Amino acid sequence: MDVNKEEFESTCRLFIDSVNNYFSVLTEHDSEINVPFLKDITQLELKQYTGMIGVSGNKKGYVYFSADQELFEELISIFIGIEDPDKDDLMDMAGEISNVIAGNIRANLGSNFIISVPLVFEGRPDDLEFPENTFVYVIPMAWKNHHAYVIVGLQ
Amino acid sequence: MKLLIVDDSSIMQRTIQKNLNDYDLEIVGTASNGSQAIELVKTHKPDVITMDITMPEMDGITCLENIMTIHPTAKVMMITALSDKLTGLQALEKGARGFIYKPVNSENLTRALDKLLKRNVNGRQ
Repeated sequence: MDVNKEEFESTCRLFIDSVNNYFSVLTEHDSEINVPFLKDITQLELKQYTGMIGVSGNKKGYVYFSADQELFEELISIFIGIEDPDKDDLMDMAGEISNVIAGNIRANLGSNFIISVPLVFEGRPDDLEFPENTFVYVIPMAWKNHHAYVIVGLQ
Repeated sequence: MKLLIVDDSSIMQRTIQKNLNDYDLEIVGTASNGSQAIELVKTHKPDVITMDITMPEMDGITCLENIMTIHPTAKVMMITALSDKLTGLQALEKGARGFIYKPVNSENLTRALDKLLKRNVNGRQ
């Protein structure tokens, strides 16, 4: 299975734009994107909390947004002024950001890019959901001094 | 005026609430899915409703259709991450009075609420 370079770049571009838009609209600090790369599913690293969105329709697969507690804490502080959010808040924030990043892709791919409600988990589950024979793209990003991954596996 | 906030994210519910201080709106409830929202609409008959679309149990478009049959004068504003034009048009056709895309900051939420409530920017409704 060979990766299609154009498809890799165009898919990454959509998600990079979506991430950049999220942080520029909601915060005073832009996000920084590092070079995306392909990764074997078994070797994928996740951060502390991860929001997962299932995709169906004209694309099938999953989108993940994964970051450590401090990134979600800082966003929650900006949005609602809570300095010490509980675990439910952190997981809610992980779900909401993954929802927005995936949902905004419909501006380019249209309403047949159908997204699920977010599923959120802490740590790394034994089995991550991806369709078979699909390349998994990892887009590393940073916002302020916090690092995160957007992980995309779409057919 | 009575307001109902419908969003499956508690953070988003509270973000919307935080931006309502300048409005004469009484929050009569928050719902995290369409089914809960319909029960709250039957009970409280809110004048204004903010409505997410991607939610468990019942999505916001289906919920909007139901609300328009049981409380057609409600002013429903969709607030969603689904940023394609077709979804926005569908919602407006089904009775939504406003539509804004997440991510939503204070400025665009206020602008949308002012338009929904026909409020003068320098005044109060």
